[in-house]
Amino acid sequence: MTPATDPATTAPAPRTRPAPRTGAIARQRRRTALLATATVALLVVLTAIGLGTGEVDVPPPDALRALVGLGDAGNVMLIQELRAPRVLAALAAGAGLAVAGALLQRVARNPLASPDVVGVTGGASLGATAVIASGAPAALTSPAALGGGLLAALLLGLLAWRGGFTVNRIVLVGLAVQSGLAAAVNLLIVRFPAELASSALQWTTGSVYGRTWAEVGTGGTAVLVGLALALAGHRSLAVLDLGDDPAGALGLAPRAARLRLLLLAVVLASVAAALSGPVGFVALAVPHIVRRLAGPPTAGTLALTALTGAALLLGADLLVLHVLPVRGLPVGVLTATLGAPWLLVLMLRQIKPTPGSAPR
Amino acid sequence: MNVTEAGLDRPSRHAPRLRPRKPAASRAVLLFLGGTVLLVLTVALSLAAGSRAVPLTTVWHALVDGGHGSDTLRSDALVVTGLRVPRTVIGLVVGAALGVAGAVAQGVTRNPLASPATLGINHGAGFAVVVASYALHLAHPAQYLPFAFAGAALATLAVLALARRAGDLDPVRLALGGTVLDAVLISWTSAVMLTSHRTLDDFWLAGSLAGRQTDILLPVLGPLVVGLALALAIAPALNALALGDETAQALGVPVARIRAVGGAAVVLLAASAVAVAGPLSFVGLAAPHLVRKVTGADHRLLLPGCLIVGPLLLLAADIVGRLVLRPVELEVGIVTALLGAPLLALLARKVAR
Repeated sequence: MTPATDPATTAPAPRTRPAPRTGAIARQRRRTALLATATVALLVVLTAIGLGTGEVDVPPPDALRALVGLGDAGNVMLIQELRAPRVLAALAAGAGLAVAGALLQRVARNPLASPDVVGVTGGASLGATAVIASGAPAALTSPAALGGGLLAALLLGLLAWRGGFTVNRIVLVGLAVQSGLAAAVNLLIVRFPAELASSALQWTTGSVYGRTWAEVGTGGTAVLVGLALALAGHRSLAVLDLGDDPAGALGLAPRAARLRLLLLAVVLASVAAALSGPVGFVALAVPHIVRRLAGPPTAGTLALTALTGAALLLGADLLVLHVLPVRGLPVGVLTATLGAPWLLVLMLRQIKPTPGSAPR
Repeated sequence: MNVTEAGLDRPSRHAPRLRPRKPAASRAVLLFLGGTVLLVLTVALSLAAGSRAVPLTTVWHALVDGGHGSDTLRSDALVVTGLRVPRTVIGLVVGAALGVAGAVAQGVTRNPLASPATLGINHGAGFAVVVASYALHLAHPAQYLPFAFAGAALATLAVLALARRAGDLDPVRLALGGTVLDAVLISWTSAVMLTSHRTLDDFWLAGSLAGRQTDILLPVLGPLVVGLALALAIAPALNALALGDETAQALGVPVARIRAVGGAAVVLLAASAVAVAGPLSFVGLAAPHLVRKVTGADHRLLLPGCLIVGPLLLLAADIVGRLVLRPVELEVGIVTALLGAPLLALLARKVAR
């Protein structure tokens, strides 16, 4: 698959067994592949550690084998029933959030846009919390989170639309929407303490504690489908990067394509948030990290974004679980504590003074 | 009237009439009388309403002669004097502090989105208090106070530093910086709360007027009075500041000094409010906008107006929180957060281009 960074140069490139390529594109491709391999290796290591450590320590290689049902029966039970759902939830949520953030940032052409800043994960949490508070079956959590996320996106769109969108308005209104939704989640938690108290932290700050196979099954599948769609849709993403007029000339209806991609981003973020709650700043930070490491966005870096997001969230969860001295800290607190200052720095760098607003 | 233009680059449209005409003066008196009557009604409602509704006549008796008579009368009177009077008095003081702080913050920054909550000042104070009580095992609001001041002052400095650009304040930057700083502080606060497993009761962090006695106000009385005096003293200068920094400078207003004094007033007022009631949003943002709609932008009327409307809003929110889920009470902090978010979204929609 040819990543269409620059269709003008990639289009004529022969697709059948090309001679070793030179130049920036080939270099970047090699680099992306290298980084992806490293991240996959890191993921395997983190997964093994995540499955192996806990009250009962299992050596990482045994843990990986127990995951597929080999080895000591007790270990198999422990790992398949208790630890695997949490690890898989962290992986799926991390990948989903990171790719959703990358899609949003690229389509909105705004480095500050991310589903947690603009309220999508807050809406998803509200939907999930409402389902739990009303006592509905747990299988409805994911669809409800999806509905909440879509509603939040719609709300943001309605509030921020004034004959067009601007970066500042989306972010400002989005922060307000997010804070309102967080207040609503708080309200539900205060109102229905019995049902929600145990999972309150998940829905206010984000945590993958206590996921079950049922949740991971539906949520993980949804994230996987979303990731596949995002990779498949990368071509239109790249064409959109050229600007609306060139995109139209290349046979892409820019508005429809943009709407489709935004919708995909919102769906991905919502199903991810159904697994992990509103874990902050993964969606914001990972695309920036990947861009810094691997260069301009291609289909390869989009896949790398998913891997990095999964590794980041799982790594953060392991840190919270085993390294930090405090027990029971939700992973969202760690990501927000580290990621929020990053948002400040980004904001400082990105937002130029609005012309004419500086008092003369 | 478009807030964008008013608050940002065309201050002249928003410029106050510096010399109110005579009819306007008598109109102002009428408005203030009306506002005071409304406030008195709200106070009466705040004393009467709740999970146990007390008739107004009983409230009156309880206040005047301590509620003699039958057992129900006496226990009603006890509810009024023991629980609702302190709660209402605290609501009055905190609401006034937040309202005036919001008006001064908006005036100093020339930004309709500014308020102690949106600039992160409230949560700065809250974060400092949570950290201090975790590290030093504090248990009383009087001990919170210095940390609340320090936190509020640091947050103010941080948000001003974020917004400072080319020697002046950029309104959109300020609003963005403030909201983001607020989010950062909230996440850090919850991290410390979780780490410590105790620190403060949850009510303090959610923001509440309940479960306190009026003696909680004693230590903050001094800072409140000083803050209020500073705010009222710079009201005329804030009018000049609304015309833009250079115009104000040309009119002989020491802009930098007025900003510093205004910032100090905001810090004093907001930190006292936080130390007493926890971080509350909405009141500081909404009160100035409401008052401005009625009295116009003259800060000499705006600030006293906020002194009335701030408590009005806070007590109304508290009453709503007591009544919507009876017999369960909703913390006033949650009510104000739910009210404040849509307001912020609407204002942001207007301001950011």
